[in-house]
Amino acid sequence: MNFAQDRYTLTQSQKMMVFILSMSLYGLSNMITELLPSVYLGPIEFSVEYFAFIPLTLCILFHPLYAAIGAALGEVIFGEIMLGQFGGLGELEKFISFSLAMYIAGTMVTDPRNKRQVGTAAMIGVIIHQAISSIVDILKVWVGVDELEAVPGLVESVVVIEGFSFLNDVLFSGILFALIPTVYLVPRLYGKIEPLLGMKPRDTTNKYSLKEIIGPRLVVVGVLLAGAAFLFEFLSNSGLNLIEWELDLGPAFIWISLLVAFFITCLIIVYTLKKKKKTIHDKTEDRRISS
Amino acid sequence: MEYTRKWSEKFSVEQVKIELLNTAYGNGHTFLARLDPITLFIWYIFFGIVPWFIHQETILLGMFVFVVITTFIAKVSPLIILILCLGLLSQGGYLLVASLFFGGNLATILPLLVLTLKLSVISLASISVFCSMDPDKLSNGLLKIGFPGQVSFSIAYGYRMLPSLLEEYHHIFLSFRLRGKAPEKKGFLYWRAIVYFCKVAVLSFYPLLLSTSKRARTTVEALETKGSFYGFNHPEVKKLKLANMKMQKHDYLFLGFTAFYLVCLFIFL
Repeated sequence: MNFAQDRYTLTQSQKMMVFILSMSLYGLSNMITELLPSVYLGPIEFSVEYFAFIPLTLCILFHPLYAAIGAALGEVIFGEIMLGQFGGLGELEKFISFSLAMYIAGTMVTDPRNKRQVGTAAMIGVIIHQAISSIVDILKVWVGVDELEAVPGLVESVVVIEGFSFLNDVLFSGILFALIPTVYLVPRLYGKIEPLLGMKPRDTTNKYSLKEIIGPRLVVVGVLLAGAAFLFEFLSNSGLNLIEWELDLGPAFIWISLLVAFFITCLIIVYTLKKKKKTIHDKTEDRRISS
Repeated sequence: MEYTRKWSEKFSVEQVKIELLNTAYGNGHTFLARLDPITLFIWYIFFGIVPWFIHQETILLGMFVFVVITTFIAKVSPLIILILCLGLLSQGGYLLVASLFFGGNLATILPLLVLTLKLSVISLASISVFCSMDPDKLSNGLLKIGFPGQVSFSIAYGYRMLPSLLEEYHHIFLSFRLRGKAPEKKGFLYWRAIVYFCKVAVLSFYPLLLSTSKRARTTVEALETKGSFYGFNHPEVKKLKLANMKMQKHDYLFLGFTAFYLVCLFIFL
């Protein structure tokens, strides 16, 4: 049992292969979906949001972590930077939510030949991703518009629009471009695509768990970032009052506090990225030595 | 459906490839392109975050004017600007219609305009920064601020491989169409044709999955031969690679001018 699990651990090159495969394929599909027009039926938009079946298939067949991160990076590079639509920091949220959702979907499957399991995982992956992104969109309007409650009808309309697009994405894109193709492709590719990358097919005994990425560090960073966001909100609100009351001190104060806060946030992000990479690297080294 | 056909004619595969290379390598000579990536990142981080927390219209307007000027300097392709404007307008308009439906009135327009203004400041800033960096510069810059080597490699790889991947996908797609049989009746609102095209688009990925995985393996083997993994994991290699990146006089001037302009905005408005 233990032996079987050891045998599946990937070398660094194999991880890179999974990463590149997932990145280039999902990136390509992203470019195609960006260029496809969407059809409007009244206020209802029928658009192909994304070809979610590609990262889902790869996450189910290979190690979900590398496939998920690769796909998310592919989306950013091919779908955004190369088309000149890179949203900068906004992409960070997409990156995290997408890779998390795909990773969870990948971990749910223990047997790629079991169609019911694959189908459930595919739908849950899409639902998680869409739920996170609609919540973030609602929050964006909430942060971006000052005194949201004072504007009649805006809260309801944002929630309705986001809820509607959530349902549309899950039911339309989710079923047609995630559920059906994944259920079709996974059993067909299982055992065929792995030898091309020089690895054994994933068997039913190895499982991945969420613990691998959601460690205490991630939780702490998330809490810190959320705290920082609320701090900014608070600063901006009090900042407006400052401008009204004392013109000399106000702007400089906001200016400095904002700058300091941003630098701290950026430092945290850079630091965690570095550290994460380091730990991943250390782990692979350990595995290679022990195997 | 006429609309669809028009779009598909406009976006032929060749056209897309040309446009891509143009966005990637087209603007190497502008003022922003000569700046150091770190300068651009710092500049962008400010314009990407701060507008969210400013609720004063005049300051936002001042920032908007500034980023419009930088976008103009960066010579961003008109197609991208058009896409951006359409996106902003449709989002704002959609929200407006929905909030009117829920009993809002004309007073709803102002906060929505402010939101749209914020969004446009942020997106124009990102467009002017990221369009003026060519891929090599972008990946070096990311490497310098501490992203893993894999990310910067992936960017370079993406730019190299995407045109050929796109072509391969197109060939597979065409051969599926050649061997398959398109539906004889179009159906109501062309739905049969649409379903057929979607099906082929998805099915074409099956051969592509297999051939790309072969290609991924070759790439990684080539990387191993070149010793790239050593480079990813050892900081001294990175240092050597990035030795030619330095902040110069015009970088400081640009940042200084931006800071001066913003301080003026905050004080005088």
